[in-house]
Amino acid sequence: MAEDAAGWSTIESDEGVFTALIEQLGVQDVQFEEIISLDAESIRALSPVYGVIFLFKYLSPTSTDRSKPQDGTYDTQTVEDDGLFFAAQTIQNACGTQAILSVILNNDTTSNPSSSGGDGSHDRIKIGPSLSEFKEFTTGFPSDLRGEALSNSQMIRETHNSFARSSPFADETQKDPTQLSDEVYHFIGYTTHHGKLFELDGLQPYPISHGYCTPESFPEKIIPVLQRRIERYPADEVRFNLMAVCGDLRKKAELFGDDSMLEREKRKRKAWEWENSLRRHNFVGFTGEVLKGVVAEMIKKGKYEGWVKEAEDSTRKKLEQRRSRGLAEEQLQE
Amino acid sequence: MSVAPLITFKAGKCEVDESTGKVRPQPTPGYVYLYSEEDLMHFCWRPRSASLDEPEDDLIMFPSDGSFTPYQKKQVNGRIFVLKFSSSSQRHLYWLQSKSQSANGDPSHFSSRDLKIGQVVNSLLQGEEVDVQQAVAEMRSGHPPNDDDDATMEDVEGQGDGGAGPGATGGDIRDEGEGAREGGADGGRASGGAMDAQSIIQNFIRSMPGSAGGQGGQGQQQKLFTTLQDLLTSASTVAWVDAASESTVDEALQFLPPNLASLAKDDDDDSATTILDLNQKRDLIKRVLRSPQFSQSLASLTFALRDGGLPSIGEALNVPLQNGGYMRRGGVPLGGGEAVEAFLKGVQDLVKGDGDEDDKMETS
Repeated sequence: MAEDAAGWSTIESDEGVFTALIEQLGVQDVQFEEIISLDAESIRALSPVYGVIFLFKYLSPTSTDRSKPQDGTYDTQTVEDDGLFFAAQTIQNACGTQAILSVILNNDTTSNPSSSGGDGSHDRIKIGPSLSEFKEFTTGFPSDLRGEALSNSQMIRETHNSFARSSPFADETQKDPTQLSDEVYHFIGYTTHHGKLFELDGLQPYPISHGYCTPESFPEKIIPVLQRRIERYPADEVRFNLMAVCGDLRKKAELFGDDSMLEREKRKRKAWEWENSLRRHNFVGFTGEVLKGVVAEMIKKGKYEGWVKEAEDSTRKKLEQRRSRGLAEEQLQE
Repeated sequence: MSVAPLITFKAGKCEVDESTGKVRPQPTPGYVYLYSEEDLMHFCWRPRSASLDEPEDDLIMFPSDGSFTPYQKKQVNGRIFVLKFSSSSQRHLYWLQSKSQSANGDPSHFSSRDLKIGQVVNSLLQGEEVDVQQAVAEMRSGHPPNDDDDATMEDVEGQGDGGAGPGATGGDIRDEGEGAREGGADGGRASGGAMDAQSIIQNFIRSMPGSAGGQGGQGQQQKLFTTLQDLLTSASTVAWVDAASESTVDEALQFLPPNLASLAKDDDDDSATTILDLNQKRDLIKRVLRSPQFSQSLASLTFALRDGGLPSIGEALNVPLQNGGYMRRGGVPLGGGEAVEAFLKGVQDLVKGDGDEDDKMETS
């Protein structure tokens, strides 16, 4: 079967999904944790923090000026000089995984240490053999070639796709029809590298520097950068998602002897595993069993006709609501 | 592939002024003709000067979506038929250009032959098998006395074995190109995977009966029916789980990921084999039924049924389906609400056929 670089499915933006994704790629002791409130303490509490992933609705750039970004400055040298991993984005559906890797692959055991003579306890990430091979393979590549290598990587793509919603369609790259929104969402990564805070956006021509920063000062320095980013959107736009890439919190709990925290984190992991199991599961067979059971039960109780009628009424009502909203939207667009 | 019309008759188009309701027949002499291609019926109109593969109107009609009936609402001075759609409020009016057979000179009078034309067209639109040759023969033989029916013999042509017969209505039956397959702006089926999610939802909404602003021919089936999500409410599924026997519960668990049992337990028992009692098993199933992943899969499966997946889904689940889930004429799967309804009916038959697995018999 020919490898098709366009064969990337959409995956949910979820801590459990992303954590399982990197674990499957071979990364050890790293997890994702959603940041609910945008303040330095919340981020610091998760240390070691390797970076953040920021998800937002994509607006086309208001300025077509590619000589400078809307905030920060392009750093055209750091990839070559300091070995920063930066890949151009070629596939829309891959952008979550791409942002994740842009943080992970700049904080692993082969990455250059930060220039501030940094915190020795700041663990470097063990990324495992597959990603090490990938990183080595793309060393010295320009960003567009790195992007190509990523989207052509069977290993990364297959792992990514294994988290796509299981669908009765054989072609898993078909867009999910239950998704009501056709809006495009974009992921970018922020991390420190060689003493600077970088914004890594595969749609930008270069990494964007936001000034001097160390892993220790990252929680403070990132806040105003993110705030300025959020301010670019209309005041009522609340669809952002911010996730910290941090060390496994179970390990942290063990280190601090915090039993209740350890319990919490273990339960969270179980919940993630539960959700991921269901996400990958093909429910067609189970649905058949449930439907047979419910139909039999309804017939037995003499409630079959009423049950179907109630469902029909419910569907009609929902459709009328959707239609009036949908047509209203259409008219607004015209 | 040649366009071989099943029936052709002289007719002109009408314009309807929606605000005043006035019907204005267009003078251009033309033909209405129907042909079938890949099990889809095409309803066409062309000026008599145009060739068969250059219709001005080419509407793709899904079986039972369209109807062709006498238009008797307003005072008109001609015999007008209306082509209506159950999937939208769109309609087209055509007036018979053949010589009126009215005895008293009433121009709006539909003769039995006129009505027969309408019936034949309507039947074809319903997806029924029509022996047009026979019907046309009946039309010709059943002429009222004192009427010169020479003109009428030319008016109506049914498809014969050798194509159009003597006095054929012009236009040669040539090999058609791909162009003729294109429906007009009004026709055209919503295509599948190439569309983005928003368009899919919009088409889903538009294809529902009673949806204003819908395009004729884009509608799939008449019935809205319902969705799997709306059928499998938590009330109905919980009732089933609580009443189910242990063997039924175990059967259902076979269809879930095997590691769920160990994940469901609250304690830290990570042993590979986890034994759950009946209540715990029931709770596990209920937890799955409540999960967003299961709801999403129901929505996805409903969409798949509506979108032509009925035959394969029925086969995968051993659900008996009439015609295997295909339409009567074969080749095209049932779609829309009809497919979901057929699926449910199949499950019903399957359940009834299984007899009494539980200890209670069916009570009426």
